[in-house]
Amino acid sequence: MLQYIIAGLVLGGIYAIASSGLVITYEASGILNFAFGSMAFAIARLYYFLHIQHGWGIPASAIFSLFVASPLLGVVLYYALFQHLRLSSPLVKVVATLGLSVAIPAAATWAFGNVAILKAPGLAPEPVRVFRFLDTPVTMDQLIVYICVLLTVVIGFVVLRFTEVGLKVRAMVDSPAMTSLSGTNPARVSVGVWAVSSIFIGLAGILAAPIIGLDAGYFTLLMAAAFASVVAARLRSLPIAVLTALAMGIATALIQYFLPISSPWTAKVIAAVPFAFIAVFLIYNLILRRDLSDSQRVGSALDSAIMPNGQGTMSSTESALLDAQMGFWARYSGPIIIGIIAGILPLVLGGSWRGLLVQAFAYSIIFLSFTLVTGEGGMIWLCMITFAGIGGLWTAQLSTTYHWPVLLAILGGGLITLPIGLLIGFLTIRLGGLYVALITLTFALLGEQLYFTMPRFSPGGLPLSVHRPSWASGDIAFAYVCLIVFFLLALFVVNLRRSTTGMAMDAVRTSEPAARMIGINVVTMKVIITGLAATTAAIGGGFLVTAQTTATPQQFAALLGVVWLAVLVSIGIRSAIAALVAGISFTVLPQIFASYMPTSWSQIPIILFGLGAIGVAKFPDGTVEQNGESFRRLLLKVAMKRQGKNVEALEASALGGAK
Amino acid sequence: MTTITATDTVLEAHGITKRFGGLVALNDVTLDVPKNTIVGLVGPNGAGKSTLFGCLSGLLRPEEGSVHFNGEDITGLKPQKRAQLGMARTFQQPELFLGLTVREHIVLAHRVRYERRRLWSDMIGAKSLSKPSASEVDAIDGIIELLEIQAIAETPVAALPLGSTRLVEVARALATNPDIVLLDEPLSGLDLRESEQLAMAFTRVVKESAKGLSLLLVEHDVATVLALSSKIFVLEFGQLIASGTPDEIRNSEAVRSAYLGDEDPTPKGGN
Repeated sequence: MLQYIIAGLVLGGIYAIASSGLVITYEASGILNFAFGSMAFAIARLYYFLHIQHGWGIPASAIFSLFVASPLLGVVLYYALFQHLRLSSPLVKVVATLGLSVAIPAAATWAFGNVAILKAPGLAPEPVRVFRFLDTPVTMDQLIVYICVLLTVVIGFVVLRFTEVGLKVRAMVDSPAMTSLSGTNPARVSVGVWAVSSIFIGLAGILAAPIIGLDAGYFTLLMAAAFASVVAARLRSLPIAVLTALAMGIATALIQYFLPISSPWTAKVIAAVPFAFIAVFLIYNLILRRDLSDSQRVGSALDSAIMPNGQGTMSSTESALLDAQMGFWARYSGPIIIGIIAGILPLVLGGSWRGLLVQAFAYSIIFLSFTLVTGEGGMIWLCMITFAGIGGLWTAQLSTTYHWPVLLAILGGGLITLPIGLLIGFLTIRLGGLYVALITLTFALLGEQLYFTMPRFSPGGLPLSVHRPSWASGDIAFAYVCLIVFFLLALFVVNLRRSTTGMAMDAVRTSEPAARMIGINVVTMKVIITGLAATTAAIGGGFLVTAQTTATPQQFAALLGVVWLAVLVSIGIRSAIAALVAGISFTVLPQIFASYMPTSWSQIPIILFGLGAIGVAKFPDGTVEQNGESFRRLLLKVAMKRQGKNVEALEASALGGAK
Repeated sequence: MTTITATDTVLEAHGITKRFGGLVALNDVTLDVPKNTIVGLVGPNGAGKSTLFGCLSGLLRPEEGSVHFNGEDITGLKPQKRAQLGMARTFQQPELFLGLTVREHIVLAHRVRYERRRLWSDMIGAKSLSKPSASEVDAIDGIIELLEIQAIAETPVAALPLGSTRLVEVARALATNPDIVLLDEPLSGLDLRESEQLAMAFTRVVKESAKGLSLLLVEHDVATVLALSSKIFVLEFGQLIASGTPDEIRNSEAVRSAYLGDEDPTPKGGN
């Protein structure tokens, strides 16, 4: 058993280093870096590139990767993104870092080559030396991990507590503005923190690669485990994060010791370990402490006072002012034009492009679920792909195994998903936005590992087949079926937004205390929106598998859901028509690159999607809303010119009235 | 000063104690708000005024004590239930619904009170496309006129300056047709003219209220509180150190030494 515990401490040690980096950056900047798994993968991939592909020695590869590339990555990302996020809303922070998590692995694969890596090297020279400790073999790689954990914890503690640099970091955590007034440059401290934490992240990546494999997908395990430690640490306590990480490593190893390796349940139980830890800490905090909120303001009153008005909110004042002044056509002409173009496309496109378009419309339905839960509800749910998967896979089950008509099966898939969405909504209702994001992502990973791997969804490893309705078996007919369903749901979303329900949703999203104080039941409103969103995602999933005529669990992998969110957010999370544009972009853009660009450029669309999501740091409403505002302004200018007025005067009069 | 005869009590708090870890934020605080009056609550920074508001409105749960509203024990009720019974409040840092206009704030609060079913039924019907009822329009316009915010009625609140946002909060609170509004530093951040306008509005809404509206006012501007209120409670370090009429508070040694200092904050006889 000791051998297992020693191995568990290695895994736990890697989790500990990763979670240390997360906690330190969260403490110093208020940003939970969802991209750390991707950053860890990128540095590990660079280390492999230098050491294996280019024959550099271990010390040279490690020093360059950890002490040149890692801090450089941290510094570049700080100046490009993180410095703009400090006072943004949790939604913008999460989405921007998720965008990064999508772009970085694709960029790394593009830069270092898309090669199959069977075995990743660690920091120990090959062949790896083996020592004996209490009659138990301990490898050099394991020893290096122990030393790294020890150094990370001890140096981190000493630097933060007993040095001037640590004092400045702690001062900046309390208030960048006050730190600045006392003569310290908070930007310099921040960039230092990001550089150092990026070294931790890179170290975790290089150490983890030999154990979990050098594949971006495998790093989700590292991510889920580190997130569990961070939740346990309530985002802030470094010692608790480290201890929880070590405990998780040991728990994983003991499960391997007690359960037979050959059992399919062993892998599932191991995958569930982070979720179990999260569940325990959630229950502890919610029942005993009655509080699990991340709403603590970043910085002091002075920091809040100098925060630009409206920054971090998902609404544009200027756009709202324009909307308030415009009529129906000026407001809705853009969406109507896009809708008409989408309606014509199935007729003008041919062959495989038309088939892609059918899928695009199905994706658009799924993307509407994000519009509901995140755009309207203000909740950062990262498990919509799981709901789409449940809907899609049950559509296949009901239509193929139970011979339901496929449209009824799609509805059945939606109804099966509804209670799950309501339950997750109810359980996470009292949590802060970051916790909701963390927990829904973990739920998605768990669903992928435990539920979607059930034999019924992939009998004999083969996909389930789905048959389109006989009256709409062709691509054109089924494209219009999907499009009509999309427009019906989009109209529902638009109606919801302008209705009393939508106003109440806005109230809940932007100020829960004030919503409560006018008598709105926040829990009911949130549960309603989560149920609607989960059902919409499931229905979209049903249409997607029907469009593709096959259903496989792999197409609903949790991390792909992050890409979906990145695509939609970059285009417009609060716009129903943006969901349509996002569906088409997500499906058609990669195919354009695959058809007309060199093969090595295949990662470019993913990078673009990721960069688009990063763009929300600057344009929280997304590109559709941003361009829509310009378009509406143009229409308004034309209309005003006819009346001898101008838009600026109109806005000034509106604001003048306000003042 | 508003001189309104108290006939009954709308809000009572008995022995409220609230702790945050080892810190006792409120210790055995008792107060009452008669119907159709303006009652002031003053105290230095950190005295526990906002915490007491939190306990009264249900956003915080006291460890000890009880809160009664129109004679009913509401200590265990959630904020939205208290709001439905007729309690409204504003916030020290204005809490607005950033996607809505001023009018929409008032409409939403009005519908939550009078057409609650529309909170969920509207999303599946087409009622949002039809014109609002005449009674709703009258009620909303009445509040807008009362607070003299016609010029900003259709403006998105995200575009408003601080003074106007405080008016929007008051308008939203009044739209729920409450029996009492808890006002948390409604004058802070306003210039002299805005403060005077809002203070006059407070007096007017209480005076013109058909159902006997009361206001519980937390304010740093002691002179204004003394001028507006018929009864005042003084908190210090979480404890109630005095209560009484403005004259009693003005002459209280405990208040003078603890909060007001040696200097009388208002001119003698000044309202």
